[in-house]
Amino acid sequence: MNGDTPFAHGIGGSADLPISPSLAIAGAVAALVVSFTVLAVAWRTPRYDEAQGGRQAPPWLDSLVGSLGFRAGLRVFGFVIFVYAVVAAIFGEDLLTNPVFGIFYVWWWVGLVPLSLFLGPFWKAISPVRTINLVFARLSGSDPEVGVFDYPRWLGHWPAALGLFAFVWMELVYPFMTELGPVRLWCAIYVAVMLVGGALFGNTFYEHADPFEVYSSLVAKLSVWGSRDGHLLLRSPLANLDTVVVRPGLVAVLAVLFGSTAFDSFRDSSDWVQYIQSTETSSYLLNNVMLVVFCVGTGLVFALGCVLTGVETGTRRWSLPDKFAHSIVPIVVGYIVAHYLTYLVEFGQRTLIQASDPFSNGSDILGTGDWSVNYWLSYHPTLLANVKVVAVVVGHVLGVVAAHDRAIKLLPKRHQLTGQLPLLLAMVAFTVGGLYLLFAA
Amino acid sequence: MRRLMAATAVLVSTLGLVSGCGEDTPATDAGDIETIEITFEGGTVTPNGERVEVGTGQPVDLVVRADESGEIHVHSEPEQEFEYAAGTTTLKLQIDQPGVVEVESHDLEQVIVQLEVS
Repeated sequence: MNGDTPFAHGIGGSADLPISPSLAIAGAVAALVVSFTVLAVAWRTPRYDEAQGGRQAPPWLDSLVGSLGFRAGLRVFGFVIFVYAVVAAIFGEDLLTNPVFGIFYVWWWVGLVPLSLFLGPFWKAISPVRTINLVFARLSGSDPEVGVFDYPRWLGHWPAALGLFAFVWMELVYPFMTELGPVRLWCAIYVAVMLVGGALFGNTFYEHADPFEVYSSLVAKLSVWGSRDGHLLLRSPLANLDTVVVRPGLVAVLAVLFGSTAFDSFRDSSDWVQYIQSTETSSYLLNNVMLVVFCVGTGLVFALGCVLTGVETGTRRWSLPDKFAHSIVPIVVGYIVAHYLTYLVEFGQRTLIQASDPFSNGSDILGTGDWSVNYWLSYHPTLLANVKVVAVVVGHVLGVVAAHDRAIKLLPKRHQLTGQLPLLLAMVAFTVGGLYLLFAA
Repeated sequence: MRRLMAATAVLVSTLGLVSGCGEDTPATDAGDIETIEITFEGGTVTPNGERVEVGTGQPVDLVVRADESGEIHVHSEPEQEFEYAAGTTTLKLQIDQPGVVEVESHDLEQVIVQLEVS
């Protein structure tokens, strides 16, 4: 495929089949029933407490993970891939077979999710921008944790939300997303902003404002790995999820992630393709507008679901969306698994094959050049559809439980059940909407 | 919590049962040829991005009537490219891997049909 197509196809070839209507309906019904079951039968006193719960990881594992060698090894691993990608981006050919595209759109963007889900805050551990900041700090004899200024509290995760939006815009709307120049420029700006931010605000900047670290660390809250007093902790994902730190812009981050993924399904639907191809209005403009509508719409539906409740006098109603935001993390992750699973498995493999020949000159540096992509998943569409719906429904269940626990912590007693209803409806809307897009697109 | 987990387990297994009935059936009409008529005229193309269901491995004939020559890309795995001349050309293709495959006019940069291969 040439890079000059205005469809922003991405690097993907064929897309998943739509799920069957019966499966979509079964998923939606399950989501609805579970939602109200949770409301009716679940506990009435908060269960998850950050300060307690979880158990210490085995001492050998704790000392391994805490060891300098382990941490340095991860940093080296991340930096080697980073340098490899930079070299391929600068000296490689502007062809779709350049592994940079797969590394950027598949390994980085999508691979981050399972790695963080299984291993914890993965990007934080390997982030090359953190590594560079660390080296700079060591060279100048300063502390990488602190910068010249304190990171402004009000800024919170807003820069990360903006960064994530810049990525999904590039991936889903920008017509030249598979040309080398724009991808290089995007990454250069990212690295530049991260290094300046790190110098100004120290490592706090990455925790708050690095779009990939914020994304990865949020997903990692669904893993079993936590930490307390510098020690590795094993805890249930739901208890772990409760430890998401509430910061301004958290809702925006999640709205961009969910909204853009939904838009990705939507823009491939036959109806939308027919519409943008038959109207006089520029399809680029329409896609831009729709991406914003999906992201902002997601944020608004969620925020409304949170604020439409009774609160104690003195509680600021509009502080509630950020306080409940952790509860849509599993919904977002479930939907992202459903949406990207085949893409990650199949294009992730293809990227590994392409990575062996970064300059498109027939070399086989990694020895993976003669491997072939295993399309087993695509050849089992029924299994794939089931996995997708189960991922969405499980995400929904976890989300509803997390929201319930937070509601009994935050809401006054007489509003604890009725106050949850609007949020429950918002969650059902996301899940059913997600299933609808998997079925219709 | 136990009750909740039990309820979830029941629901998830019901989901499995409901969806289990549609086991991956191979295309039944592999022998019939699906014919799709495509017309290029004055810089436009019909059809315009519609869905067409075909079976895996089913032969598909794209019957192209065009006022000038051009190229059609089929975004399957692996990708297939076809050239056609002015006049009527029949392009034969077949897709073995299930999925949704876009058939595009390279010159108009437009999706002609989406083949739903299952």
